[in-house]
Amino acid sequence: METGSHANRSGTGTFGFDWLSVALVLGGVLLLYYVVPLVSLFLSVPAGEILDRMNNPTVVDSATTSLLSASISTVIATLFGLPLAYWLARTNGAVTKIVLAVVVLPLVLPPTVGGIVLLTVFGPSSPLGEAAIAAGFPLTRSLAGVVLAQTFVASPFVVVTTKAAFESVDQTLEYASRSLGKSRWTTARNVTLPLAGPGILAGVTLAFARAIGEFGATMMLAYYPRTMPVQIWVAFIELGLDNAYPVAILLVLIAAAALSILNTVASNPWE
Amino acid sequence: MTLESSRLRKAYDQFDFGPVDMTVEEEVLAVLGPSGSGKTTLLSLIAGITSPDSGSIQLDGRELVGLPPEDRNVGMVFQEGALFPHMTARENIAYAATASDRVDELATLFELEDVLDRKPPTLSGGERQRVALARTLATDPDVLLLDEPLSSLDAPIRKRLRDELHSLFESIEIPILYVTHDQRTATALGDRIAIVRDGDLEQVGSPSAVLTRPTSRFVARFTGNENLFDGTVIDRTTDGATVRLGDIQCQTTASDIHTSTVTVCIHPSRVEIEAPYIADGDRTTNTVTGTVVRWLNEGSEYRIDIEIEAGPITLTANVRPPTFERLALENGSEVQVLIPQDSIHLIPGGE
Repeated sequence: METGSHANRSGTGTFGFDWLSVALVLGGVLLLYYVVPLVSLFLSVPAGEILDRMNNPTVVDSATTSLLSASISTVIATLFGLPLAYWLARTNGAVTKIVLAVVVLPLVLPPTVGGIVLLTVFGPSSPLGEAAIAAGFPLTRSLAGVVLAQTFVASPFVVVTTKAAFESVDQTLEYASRSLGKSRWTTARNVTLPLAGPGILAGVTLAFARAIGEFGATMMLAYYPRTMPVQIWVAFIELGLDNAYPVAILLVLIAAAALSILNTVASNPWE
Repeated sequence: MTLESSRLRKAYDQFDFGPVDMTVEEEVLAVLGPSGSGKTTLLSLIAGITSPDSGSIQLDGRELVGLPPEDRNVGMVFQEGALFPHMTARENIAYAATASDRVDELATLFELEDVLDRKPPTLSGGERQRVALARTLATDPDVLLLDEPLSSLDAPIRKRLRDELHSLFESIEIPILYVTHDQRTATALGDRIAIVRDGDLEQVGSPSAVLTRPTSRFVARFTGNENLFDGTVIDRTTDGATVRLGDIQCQTTASDIHTSTVTVCIHPSRVEIEAPYIADGDRTTNTVTGTVVRWLNEGSEYRIDIEIEAGPITLTANVRPPTFERLALENGSEVQVLIPQDSIHLIPGGE
């Protein structure tokens, strides 16, 4: 009796149909769908040939542009995003909700649309764009253009993730610090930031990963200098799939590095 | 140091605090009230965590309202300690300390030498509160605020720390506000008690005054005074009054009452019980007979409910175990109830 009822509960009894196994199979198929193409990418090109092509100037140039621009974008996003995230975490009300919706907008907006929106403000025919060109600092087809596009799509990750990190810091600790005679800034530096640190690092990592993969808005704003995603596209269109592999592999490795940061020193916001 | 608030007000959606006028000298004011009555709001306003809508808070004439918390020199000990979890006990205290030798001095005072290098999550509740106290005192505050620092502790540790706080409070001469919802803690630690109700100070006075001479039924009930009866004043002299409770007439020394309808209030600890017909009430004591209908062993004392037919009322008495055992009390026991005249307190108006 004992075993019989147990078997029924797990679903293998009377019906002869194990729902747990079905769920495992469904999930397993999805996992394979993620992993197999990645493995296949690495198997498509012999390792030696990849290393050879990594030295190709176009690959090196695009990697340099991407790493530089993504770093700048991430710094800008962090610099401007942290105070806003803190404010969002510590206020409640209608205005907070509206501001948060504005912050999330670039996340849900298709990147190409983001590019168009940015062009209307920074494009060569806009007043700002014209002035910038006149000053010898064009905002499109330049590193500045890449940074503008990346910052637009990546900075929400900093704001949204660090907002959650700040919220996890008990406000009583800040009050305690203030009542011990410490200013707002000393409190932020010694109490809030260290405690929110892993969450902030997660936000910064996600923003960097998003920035380095940015394609849609970058295409619209700055086709040159080529970033890695743009280089993949160009290589694919002009020379065929094989030639897009090396840069793709580089991007996969960077994504893997970001993941390992998320799972070690940072606090993974999705855990 | 004198802390003074006047017309202090703060309105919330569902709750209005104040106006509160209050003066705290170099003493311990125990702020006692149910949860949600505004005790913590009062501390937050003094500490500068919350800004009042109007009114002032002055420390020796210096206006605190408008100053950020860090410029007030008001120390606050939070309910759970609010220790910084990423710092060791030593770092927590050193963070606040005005001088580096203060850390070791306070560690010795609070017997924390052995746990100084541990982080808060590994400390016991009692140790955490000691570190929190040491950290707050390290700033040499002009005012000390404590928000139920003992409420999360187990009974034996709570009692020990309460005794320690008592001697600590005697050694520091600044205004101290101690918030609690526990009447025993309030009477044990407070030089005076302020009863808070719905954001207002309902009664402020010495512990014995608040316990035995409450100014309202709320204060009486909240301080454990269960004997509240509707009565009528039938005679009044210069040094007392005669009050009638149903068919019972009793004498009281209460003479400052000017209504005829009153609430008669007798603290259970002031009601004495004797075997019937043994004790004769003298002229300063009222005597009635009754029957024990219920008793409860509350540890250090027994709580006895006695039905008095002449009322009819049910009177509660707190009796020490030796008395309980000597009288061999049980349900149905006939007893004589003695109530000293000066233990009958009158609150104007009925229910």
